[in-house]
Amino acid sequence: MLKDFLRSFFLVDLAKGLWVTLKYTPQPAFTFQYPSERRPVAPRFRGVLRLQVEPDSGAQVCIVCDQCAKACPDDLISLGGHREPGMKLKALDYFDFNLSRCSFCGLCSEVCPTKPVKALIMSEDYELGTYSRDAQILRIDDMYDGLPITQYTK
Amino acid sequence: MGVIDHRFSDNIITTNLDTVLAWARKNSLWPMGFGLACCAIEMIAAGGSRFDIARFGSEVFRASPRQADLMIVAGTVTKKMAPVLRRLYDQMPEPKWVISMGSCSNAGGPFPTYSVLQGVDKVVPVDVYVSGCPPRPEALLYGLMRLQDKIARENTVFRKERWIPAGGTEPIIVEDRG
Repeated sequence: MLKDFLRSFFLVDLAKGLWVTLKYTPQPAFTFQYPSERRPVAPRFRGVLRLQVEPDSGAQVCIVCDQCAKACPDDLISLGGHREPGMKLKALDYFDFNLSRCSFCGLCSEVCPTKPVKALIMSEDYELGTYSRDAQILRIDDMYDGLPITQYTK
Repeated sequence: MGVIDHRFSDNIITTNLDTVLAWARKNSLWPMGFGLACCAIEMIAAGGSRFDIARFGSEVFRASPRQADLMIVAGTVTKKMAPVLRRLYDQMPEPKWVISMGSCSNAGGPFPTYSVLQGVDKVVPVDVYVSGCPPRPEALLYGLMRLQDKIARENTVFRKERWIPAGGTEPIIVEDRG
């Protein structure tokens, strides 16, 4: 009885609670300042699809085998090419990728057979914001370069 | 705001007033968290202390549409949920904006079925589409910044209307709203 009275009179519980708050005060800020610093992505991170070229010559790697289009569970990829006379490799004419439905499962890049450079990879780009649904259908230029990231200025 | 909306020609007062209004609006977007599926978890993470959407003035996730400016549709919108979503959108006061977050609300995602709405833009006008499945919190913040860019270019009292055409990023000025 008296113990309870003294406990509430000297605000012991309040002091205990404030002490917990005080203990967390000196530690540095936990917040990640996103537009100015980018968090490194995990090695297995799957961002938006990206077509790759040969690193030295810049030549086309894709052999237009259509396996990625067949592997896609939502039929989001459509690609085609033509064969130049005398050339062994098909030239890639168009590569349309419907980003709006993509669930980033990575099956398309998993089946990509070209070696040593994979033609189709899941890149590290995740900043994908568009003002319209039409802009979410990526054409072949966007597939090589990626969607332009607007730098936020403030 | 209906008294002064798009009623004045451009002069030093109206253009400056537009700038101030746009500045105030874009830096205090109060979202109504419309968490419907797994994207909601990323939206909540963006609201947490690690990513801290409060740095953009959007920390106040309102439970009531009457107090919200921005609806973040995060997740699969089923056809059963669509009328509810539209009603909540109608209950939000002007000016209001919509962010469609994730593949499901963008276009239906991996559910081309009878029960899922194929894109939330079938029922509400969407300002920014954020892709991802789900988008990471940074992607949502990026979408929010794109929306802030858009709001900064909107005008309120100035008669001429700027709008961004489909697929474009630069605004076009419509000569006279009439």
